[in-house]
Amino acid sequence: EFCSSLAGIMLLEVFLVLGTVIIYFLLTKKKEETLPFKEGWWGKGQKPDTEEDTTIRPFKVETTEEELSDLFRRLDQARFTEPLENSCFHYGTNSVYLRKVVSYWKNQFNWKKQVEVLNKYPQFKTKIQGIDIHFVHVKPPRLPEGQSAKPLLMVHGWPGSFYEFYKIIPLLTDPASHGLSDEHVFEVICPSIPGYGFSEAPHKQGTIAASVFYELMLRLGFNEFYTQGGDWGWLICTNLAQIAPNHVKGLHLNLASVTNMGFTHLLSVLLGRYLPGLFGFQEEDVRRMFPFLEKGLYRILLESGYAHIQATKPDTVGCGLNDSPVGLAAYILEKFSTWTDLEFRNLEDGGLDRKFNLDDLLTNIMIYWVSGCIVSSMRFYKENLQKGLGTQKHERLTVQVPTGIASFPNEVMHTPQAWAQKKYTNIVSFHFMPRGGHFAALEEPQLLAEDILQFVGKVEKEQLWRKK
Amino acid sequence: QRILCLPRSFEYSQKNAVLVPVAALGVGGMLVYWLRSRHKIKTLEMGDGWWGSGERPLKGKEDESIRPFKIETSDKEIEDLHHRLDRARYAPPLEGAAFHYGFNSNYLQKVVAYWRNQFDWRKQVEVLNKYPHFLTTIEGINIHFIHVKPSYVPHGRAVQPLLMVHGWPGSFYEFYKIIPLLTEPAKHGLAEGDVVFEVICPSIPGYGFSEAPHQKGFNTVATARIFHKLMNRLGFKEYYLQGGDWGSAITTNMAQMLPQSVKGLHLNMVFVAIQGLGRMISVMLGAYAPWLVGLTREDVQRVYPFVQKNIYNILRESGYLHIQATKPDTAGCGLNDSPVGLAAYLLEKFSTWTDDSFLDKDDGALESKYSLDELLTNVMIYWVTSSIVSSMRFYKENMSKFPGPAADPRLGVHVPTGIAAFPQELAHTPRIWAKDIFKNIVTYSYMPRGGHFAAFEEPKLLAQDIMHFVRKVEQL
Repeated sequence: EFCSSLAGIMLLEVFLVLGTVIIYFLLTKKKEETLPFKEGWWGKGQKPDTEEDTTIRPFKVETTEEELSDLFRRLDQARFTEPLENSCFHYGTNSVYLRKVVSYWKNQFNWKKQVEVLNKYPQFKTKIQGIDIHFVHVKPPRLPEGQSAKPLLMVHGWPGSFYEFYKIIPLLTDPASHGLSDEHVFEVICPSIPGYGFSEAPHKQGTIAASVFYELMLRLGFNEFYTQGGDWGWLICTNLAQIAPNHVKGLHLNLASVTNMGFTHLLSVLLGRYLPGLFGFQEEDVRRMFPFLEKGLYRILLESGYAHIQATKPDTVGCGLNDSPVGLAAYILEKFSTWTDLEFRNLEDGGLDRKFNLDDLLTNIMIYWVSGCIVSSMRFYKENLQKGLGTQKHERLTVQVPTGIASFPNEVMHTPQAWAQKKYTNIVSFHFMPRGGHFAALEEPQLLAEDILQFVGKVEKEQLWRKK
Repeated sequence: QRILCLPRSFEYSQKNAVLVPVAALGVGGMLVYWLRSRHKIKTLEMGDGWWGSGERPLKGKEDESIRPFKIETSDKEIEDLHHRLDRARYAPPLEGAAFHYGFNSNYLQKVVAYWRNQFDWRKQVEVLNKYPHFLTTIEGINIHFIHVKPSYVPHGRAVQPLLMVHGWPGSFYEFYKIIPLLTEPAKHGLAEGDVVFEVICPSIPGYGFSEAPHQKGFNTVATARIFHKLMNRLGFKEYYLQGGDWGSAITTNMAQMLPQSVKGLHLNMVFVAIQGLGRMISVMLGAYAPWLVGLTREDVQRVYPFVQKNIYNILRESGYLHIQATKPDTAGCGLNDSPVGLAAYLLEKFSTWTDDSFLDKDDGALESKYSLDELLTNVMIYWVTSSIVSSMRFYKENMSKFPGPAADPRLGVHVPTGIAAFPQELAHTPRIWAKDIFKNIVTYSYMPRGGHFAAFEEPKLLAQDIMHFVRKVEQL
């Protein structure tokens, strides 16, 4: 249809955005401003006059026979479409493989057992700005002499959940038992983003997560804490560092996107392959980024269809997925395949069982299914992207909080340190991880934990948070 | 002196009497050849294809029979649908969102209630079967089409064959209201009826009752070739084409492939890329001095504000295109399993692409232009044939080379072309831009009202424009 028009328009829009940004760059100096804290009301209807209930209530995930039999009925009656010959995962999730997943889901996957797994960590709910926020709070089982647990807020993304952190939590709360140094021990808080999993979805339009999580940490009594995130967690934790730099001791990211691109970025894309030193590119940067058309532009276009439709018509695209568990699984599993390793698109089974087990993947999907949150999870894209990239205030502000970046090789798009440090002005550590993709905490918990530990080690040793 | 020499030259006139005419013929001949070869039309290569399962059979000729076909349903099919509708799970819309986040689920529940309790699929199947349906195998897959002949042809009047091609998320059913206006114009109060048509509406392979290709690479060029073979098999040597949406791209390819078979091409949607520096300059100048760049006042109203109407709007509305062009099997999976999800996805287009002010309405103003029966019948065609995934693959197959579609727009279209520009179409293409590709525009009409689904929404207006176009071509 709009084929060439669309591509032409997209290129034009890229240039328009670049042009606008150049003007901003010329006219506004990046100030060391903070992002304002957003006070809001996201519950149904009008905000009541009464004081908000600020109690923290324990929560347990539950299931019922009815929930299970409804699921099985839908799995039994799933309608599949044969894939094209030799298409592997190039057209999306391969339905021949999907049938195998569904068969496992029906016959071997034990949701009751997985619910017990979910409940092994203490979970809570508390009302903030009108909506119930769910979170996991795990304290260390033991503390070395004279040490106190450092609070660490870990934020998931899409299509993930708090469950992605279940493998890494013990490495952080009890490092000694897992062969890691116990110089720093954490108490970990993993909330669910509003509209995801067991956190209530906002009833009003607008974006809120960072402010809500900030309020959560204060309510839990933490005055200073570390934050960690990837995917949307990257954005929320970055915003938190911009809202409350005096409270965030350190920010660790496994994804550091740069959305505010300017003329220098364009230049570095055009010439960086030939003059890497000029643009601050290291050899590994060049290896991961070039040829740019293939590894940058085409890849983004090929892999961002979901973001485009979710940022414009979330209620439409989510509707069927909230009604068909198989459709939901196909949609989510495709990301766990492609974003873990783009080469997996060439495999008939999408390489899914090379890095994950089906129990973990299906547990994550079940969180979306039983909470019916797929639509509200998609609305997050519209709330954050509908005005386009490079247009929001937080994108123009820098981050002065000590930052650690773990750069995984199979992330869909690579951000070199040279670009990241324009925004994150206080990068304490930046490491090229040896392996792993987008879902770092689930796929390579040990590698990620080690990087977090060394980052915190640096910050604590030099008391860097005081030097901001 | 030269003039004085002239009388002497006549002495050699006998020699010249031979040389000069020969030279003249030679030069003249070369001139004519040069002039003709400049205008020699380059056509789109036809090629060949095989879309059935497995390898193409080496021996044996393809079965070319044309078999009558009737749509059927069963209690089982209807009960299964009802069970799924009964168990649908909805997510409540945001307050005040109307249709801005997509299909409003409060209104969707009303649609589903109608679908469950009042919509009568058996009756609709009878409606669908009122025109004759057929199946025939071409390039390894079954092609479905309806073929409607006029019941009465006035003496001495020629019947023009007209192939009408639908798009996404439409179907052959979109033409059901316009067909009688074209096969029996006089009966419907349309101009004197000096043009009468027999109408053929196929289903694009992968849509509705046409079999889906089993091999990769099935694009508009392959569709164009198959539809030419279809018309040929039906005994037509020359015919008219009409299309919008994918139908526009397919019929355009058909005109580029076999111009000698295409008497005329009528389009209610035209794609021209906004590429090239010249075009960008004309866009910028056009806002201030439209006459300078060949834009009419109506063009200006429909094209500007440019960024708003052509960039923001298109970016806002093309999410589906982006995901279908990259991950069709993922996007379609849930829709093939949840009829409610399928309805939301398809009907959103019938709302927004008919009039984008419908985005502000809680019910998407769907029923202001269409009846639920006809909208749901179209959805049911996708549902009962399980064709949503294969219909989406068409987007990916046509984006094989980034950025453009498979066909080469540099080939141009030389057959007589008629363009009906509807005001609420997603993007407006002024005549001056269309001329880049369509070299022989015979009619270009600014339609007074109507959006993307022209045949469905404004059948009379569209029929009138088709006839106006064909009349002009026939008189030429």
